[in-house]
Amino acid sequence: MSATTISSHPTHYEDRIVTAFTMCSIIWAVLGMAAGVYVAAELVWPALNFEQPWLSFGRLRTVHTNVVIFGFGVSALMGTSIYSVQRTCHVRLFAPELAWFVFWGWQIVLILGGLSLLAGYNAGKEYAELEWPFDIAITVVWVCYAVIFFGTIAKRKIAPIYVSNWFYGAFIIVIAMVHVVNSLALPVSLTKSYSLFAGAQDALVQWWYGHNAVGFLLTGGFLGMMYYFLPKQAERPIWSYRLSVVAFWAFTYSYIWAGPHHLLYNSIPEWVQSLAMAMSLILLAPSWATMINGIMTVSGAWKKLRTDPALKFIVLSLAFYGLATFEGPMMSIKTVNVFSHFTEWTIGHVHSGALGWNALIVFGTYYFLVPRLMGQPLHSRAMANVHFWLALAGVMLYVLAMWGAGISQGLLWLSLDDFGEVRYSFIEVMEAMAPYYLLRLVGGLLFFTGAVLMAVNLFMTMFNGQTVRVTPPIAAKSGGH
Amino acid sequence: MASSFSIALMPRVLLRPKAVFSQLAKDSPSATGVFFGFALWLGILPPVFAYIGAMNFGWRLGVVEPLFFPWYITLGISTAYFGALSFGFLSAAFIARWMASTYRADVSLGAHFALITVVGAPLTMGSVMHLYPHVFLNIVVLVPALIWSMYLLYTGLPVVLKTDTERGMLMASAIIGYLLVALVTLLGITVMLWSYGIGPRIGI
Repeated sequence: MSATTISSHPTHYEDRIVTAFTMCSIIWAVLGMAAGVYVAAELVWPALNFEQPWLSFGRLRTVHTNVVIFGFGVSALMGTSIYSVQRTCHVRLFAPELAWFVFWGWQIVLILGGLSLLAGYNAGKEYAELEWPFDIAITVVWVCYAVIFFGTIAKRKIAPIYVSNWFYGAFIIVIAMVHVVNSLALPVSLTKSYSLFAGAQDALVQWWYGHNAVGFLLTGGFLGMMYYFLPKQAERPIWSYRLSVVAFWAFTYSYIWAGPHHLLYNSIPEWVQSLAMAMSLILLAPSWATMINGIMTVSGAWKKLRTDPALKFIVLSLAFYGLATFEGPMMSIKTVNVFSHFTEWTIGHVHSGALGWNALIVFGTYYFLVPRLMGQPLHSRAMANVHFWLALAGVMLYVLAMWGAGISQGLLWLSLDDFGEVRYSFIEVMEAMAPYYLLRLVGGLLFFTGAVLMAVNLFMTMFNGQTVRVTPPIAAKSGGH
Repeated sequence: MASSFSIALMPRVLLRPKAVFSQLAKDSPSATGVFFGFALWLGILPPVFAYIGAMNFGWRLGVVEPLFFPWYITLGISTAYFGALSFGFLSAAFIARWMASTYRADVSLGAHFALITVVGAPLTMGSVMHLYPHVFLNIVVLVPALIWSMYLLYTGLPVVLKTDTERGMLMASAIIGYLLVALVTLLGITVMLWSYGIGPRIGI
């Protein structure tokens, strides 16, 4: 077969785009976490905003959440889903040129969107702050992403659809659905729009979106990553494939109802609140089924830990997945939520999931993926091991600081004096938080330092190589026609 | 052999943990010996410190006025604290033993009791800060103690339970997962009790 034939009808997997997504995801991780550390420092030393509006907590915090979720997280999901869907379907990616459009489209939305948030343009919906032109651009890019993903599945050479693709597929469909509905708005200028929903309906739609972004992006999408990369790293099949499929359907059915638990004791119907609480509690079953499946898979691959620094991250991420998916349903119980809502406990809960589960599983996946993509050994295993301990210490400090802060804050806010009046003023409670914020800053700094070490390690690995060409097994067998 | 597992081990646990782990692996202490001879008494210390501290200084949550409770409520809280610690100790040991066959570790209950006792020792020692129950100061002391405990768990588990280092790492991570869940459950139960009016006077 001549070189010309290969270039006009390439048979190898389209992996250069995976490398591109991985590189951008690492850069976004460093930038997003740096912004997180900075806003954490602003809570300890408010003067750090230097009276610049773009450096204020309100703007930078939004940049932090958008960059880590949509820059780091979604770029990682796009890259790993493109990598795994080709290998689980034994075919080259459908419409690779379109995939490059998705890549560039997504990165441009992130850059311009981030700048617009710094400039103060904000739609006022949490995790959906970008204004309407960005919402339309995201929809176009997302539909193209769906086309390449499901197009690849449609032309697969293996009849069963592997479970990781079910999770990635649910992530793509549900995020499209909730993004489009929640973003429906009436534009009044290029930079300002008003939501089509108002009052309680607006709140319900917002948290239907917000919670399913957590559910299908930060949980479902990353479970897709876990179900492909964990068995690959462990070099053994998933412990119970049947359990993974049952967990998928139970997860998909129950998650979609849980959003209103963000609105307990608000002006939405009582039955909606109770239903959300009940469905949140039911969610524990599929979540823990997945955790057990992951832990049992990895427990049979203990020898790999001797040589593979990546697997440790996955093991720890499963422990934090178990914690976060237990803590969430517990916090949705009304008698707990009445105390915990609006306190730092919620921030601790989010970060036990975001740092402990999402970030750690991506770190573990990248330490496995990048050397294989590049055909090079990892630049430094020692750096990866140091990263592991920094990440563990960082996330533990963060979560414990926020648990302490949340409990104190809730207790102080609700404390009554002998006359039945609120005992402490808001500013007194705020003052009491400062030491916890300092502790959180230390935890965040440790975690961020680990992420920087990883970035250096992975870029050094990439620096020495170029994306390896891998041919699908069926195409290889039939002579690569 | 319970006699080798005595209070005299405490300084060595803190200063030379690896030697203690090797000794425990050789001695195979009995479960009742460890529990009644050592763990139970160690477990009483934090609630006693908490009672003395709360009665003398009040709970200091970082604002001007400390929270004081009548002696019987403080006693109730300290007793509940002891109950939670005992449950945490026993459940962690039994769950570790339940996991042991998966990770090809020693299944004798005494070894698991001894391991959890040694791992918990830095936290028990750190609880001396309860004598002055300022929440932040307690966190500042107990968080490093917790990190030290985690180090003891990861390094001690393979030695005391006689398994491979890598299997020990997996098992230690699973135990940490359980302990985190148990800790957050304790927070949840505490808050629920407060919401039902048991505990401090709050406006719910």
